[in-house]
Amino acid sequence: MTPPLILSIAWLTPFAASIVALSTIPPLIALYFLRLRRARRVISSTMLWTRATQDLRANAPFQRLRFSILLLLQLLALALVILAIAQPQVDLGESQAARVVFLIDRSGSMSTLDGIDGATRLAEAKRLAADRLRALHGGGLFSGPAPAVMVIAFAKDGQLLCPFTDNVAQAIAAVEGIEPTDETTSLLDSLELARAFTTVTDPDNASPVVADPPAYELFSDGRISDLNRTVLRAGEKLVYHRIGKSTTPNAGIGALAAARNPDRPDEVQIFARVVNWGSTAYSSDLEVRVDDRLRAVTPKPIDVPASAIDARGGIQVAGETQVVFPSLSMPTGGVIEVRLAQNDALVADDRAAVIAAPPEALRVAVVGRGAFVIRSLLEGMSLASLELFALADWNAKVRADPASPDAFDVIVIDDAMPDALTRGRYLIFNAPPASAGVSPYGTKESAIVRSVRDEHPLLQYVNLDDLFIGSMQAVAAGGDIEVIVEASEGPLIMTMNRGSLTYVYVAFDPMESDWPFQRGFVNFFANAVTWLAAGGNSVADEPLAPGDVAKARLPRGAQGAMVRLPGGEEVALPGADASSISYGPLRLSGIYRMHWTESKGQLGPTQLAFAVNMNSRAEGRTETAQEINFATERVAGVQGGGLTESALWPWLLLGALAVLCAEWWVWLRRV
Amino acid sequence: MSRLERVDDLIDSRLMARLDSLDVVSRKIFTGKIQGERRSRRRGQSVEFADFRNYSHGDDLRFVDWNIYARLDRLFLKLFLEEEDLSMVIAVDQSLSMEGGDPNKFDYARRLAMALGYIGLVNNNRVSLFGFGSSRIERLTGMRGRRRTREMGRWLLDRNADGVGGFTDGMRTIALGGQGRGVLLVLSDFLFPDGYDKGLAYVAGRGFDVFALQVLAPEETDPARHGLAGDLRLIDSETGRETEVTASTAVLAQYKRSLETYVAGLREFCVRRSITHQLVETSLNLDTLLLDYLRRRGLLQ
Repeated sequence: MTPPLILSIAWLTPFAASIVALSTIPPLIALYFLRLRRARRVISSTMLWTRATQDLRANAPFQRLRFSILLLLQLLALALVILAIAQPQVDLGESQAARVVFLIDRSGSMSTLDGIDGATRLAEAKRLAADRLRALHGGGLFSGPAPAVMVIAFAKDGQLLCPFTDNVAQAIAAVEGIEPTDETTSLLDSLELARAFTTVTDPDNASPVVADPPAYELFSDGRISDLNRTVLRAGEKLVYHRIGKSTTPNAGIGALAAARNPDRPDEVQIFARVVNWGSTAYSSDLEVRVDDRLRAVTPKPIDVPASAIDARGGIQVAGETQVVFPSLSMPTGGVIEVRLAQNDALVADDRAAVIAAPPEALRVAVVGRGAFVIRSLLEGMSLASLELFALADWNAKVRADPASPDAFDVIVIDDAMPDALTRGRYLIFNAPPASAGVSPYGTKESAIVRSVRDEHPLLQYVNLDDLFIGSMQAVAAGGDIEVIVEASEGPLIMTMNRGSLTYVYVAFDPMESDWPFQRGFVNFFANAVTWLAAGGNSVADEPLAPGDVAKARLPRGAQGAMVRLPGGEEVALPGADASSISYGPLRLSGIYRMHWTESKGQLGPTQLAFAVNMNSRAEGRTETAQEINFATERVAGVQGGGLTESALWPWLLLGALAVLCAEWWVWLRRV
Repeated sequence: MSRLERVDDLIDSRLMARLDSLDVVSRKIFTGKIQGERRSRRRGQSVEFADFRNYSHGDDLRFVDWNIYARLDRLFLKLFLEEEDLSMVIAVDQSLSMEGGDPNKFDYARRLAMALGYIGLVNNNRVSLFGFGSSRIERLTGMRGRRRTREMGRWLLDRNADGVGGFTDGMRTIALGGQGRGVLLVLSDFLFPDGYDKGLAYVAGRGFDVFALQVLAPEETDPARHGLAGDLRLIDSETGRETEVTASTAVLAQYKRSLETYVAGLREFCVRRSITHQLVETSLNLDTLLLDYLRRRGLLQ
């Protein structure tokens, strides 16, 4: 379907236009009146004058065209007026479509401060988009019906803020309500979202029909990661409103990691990588802060080379410098933050943080059989203490003091089952914890592993492909149990986290398998002990990316779960009785702190921190792209949202008026 | 310049002194009514020998060349040129179209007529003045001798340019008026709505040696240089016809082309009928016209 031709002229400044019209048109008409008023003059004979004028009139259409400055000026004035009336659609960025989708980039790079008066690119994009919306709905002498507009803000994913509407106020409110993020940029999701609203699904037609291809108005700096996977469909048109400057340099922290010294757990080693997207070398000091207190500064500014074009791929590659800080003494856990001392236009990637877990001087108890293999592994770890308990002794100890499991960071239960598992962190082999979510229903022989959740931290560097199990417990996992390894006969390794009670259950006896002879068993055992010691929240150790969702397991009965945002704002988290909570997506980089009270009057607030770091590799390149290259199409950018061009007609008319005045002046000079 | 009020305004003594040495030249030799000062093609009784012819019965024996008879024994008759007077007719256009320009065309024409008439009177020619410009023709004829100068001046001063058309009628009256053969000087702008061809045709075939002196004002020959500008409603002084003109460069150029075409057409018309045409611009000094231009054109010597 051919979109209707719309000649749109907006009355952006009706008052000013009225003033201009009132101040110029009457004088101009008056001038023409003066011009037409003829002076009477008696002469000897009008015979020759009559002949002259008759000759001119008679011969004008056929005489040879002579150069005349008046003719030139009149043609120029006419051309300007015609241009003003025609409103060239392509050049002026006007939309001919009946539906227009506003795609507004709110990714991390749009927080670059290179707009007017130091405004962010997002603020600039919002302003231009609002002006554009007003222009599309401005009306005017030559305007057709205003298109329906949709507003989508996008970064890592697209978010529909305003479905197709004719209500410009609603659309502008949606635009003005867009909040910045530090996420990466993906456009495909937003296009699919818009297409969902413009596609008609006909039950009688197998393929959906695009009823009316919309025009897209993209307000972005052009740094979009998935353009090579994005294709504009037939009939779709996109205007790329270029936001920001193409010369804005940026440097940021591309990666940050912290690790404790295995020999001296109180010390933390910090590694950082600084990237520079600018065309000139970058130099700055790096600061290290622990829990917001300055702990170290690089002895001299670090130098980062300028970005360069990769000779092989032809793509721009950022300059990089690796920085290794001297070991910091850090006997407790905390938030380690690294900052560039010299801020640039994009602040969000000038800092990055990681959460350092407390040093693991673990206290471990072994209950039950205490197999040689297990004891040997534990003795090989640098533990604070290792105590061995017979099952009866452990039961008696717990009966005497129900809180006695809290005295150990990890309790390994080997082929035995205590009377009660109410609190504590357990690594359980073989004997099923029937009182804590697992329902045994017998044993199975000759099991092999069928599926493994490789990404789980317990299974890092653990290969179970060759594991053979002679005998295993057949159990049914409860609702709050997470199965991470499943055998052909049922769940094999599972975890459960109820806050105060956390366990890892291995549903077979390692001694009944060939696992102890594999390297994976050692890794699994170490992972399990470390994971349990950290409370089952291993996510806290690794920084998240903007757009991720933070998850945490809560103890049963936890109350008042809150999250404190990087800006200091507190947000209450729903679902306090659930075993896990989540918050997100985490739009902005920074430190998020979850805290809750485990049960009224028993334990104080427990705090869990999440570090969200902007990925400077994806969003750190802040030079605005002059054009964007889709998989099959190239779209040149329009500077300033194209609004200046769309408001070109007053300038055309003013130019025409000026030319007319010049023509009148020349005419006066000639006669 | 103030309008003409006295005869001295028409011709001053200084100019008269310079004109005393001039005479009107005719390319033809005309028969006058009385013996004058110029040769005639008729054989007469002057002392200037013209030719011989054979004697025939009845010839006056006084003109027989007896010397030839003695030598040849045959009678030949000597023929002598006869000297006759010149009839000089000056026709002044006094239509309303002459009442314009700076200097005024009618004043200029009257001063020119006065000077030419004075030359004629001084040389004992028979001078006649005609004023045409309406159906009524005014005339002053049969003047001869310097003493008629003031009378001629008074007559010219009494003329007014207030007529309409009348060129054809005026020329016909002159042609049929029995003024004798001679020189006819027509002083006019020749801007006649009904054309000049009929009028000139009347006098061209009547034995006159006709001189058409076309008097135009500078405003007519180059209006752009003399203040004609802007959007104008031009009113014809004779017909009252109005013409709206925007005096642009193109229109002014076209006007000049029209004027040149018109003047060229008049000149060609005159050449075909042995009429001498001379364009006279009123900005031209009268002395220069008489002592230079008209001498070079062969009217005066």
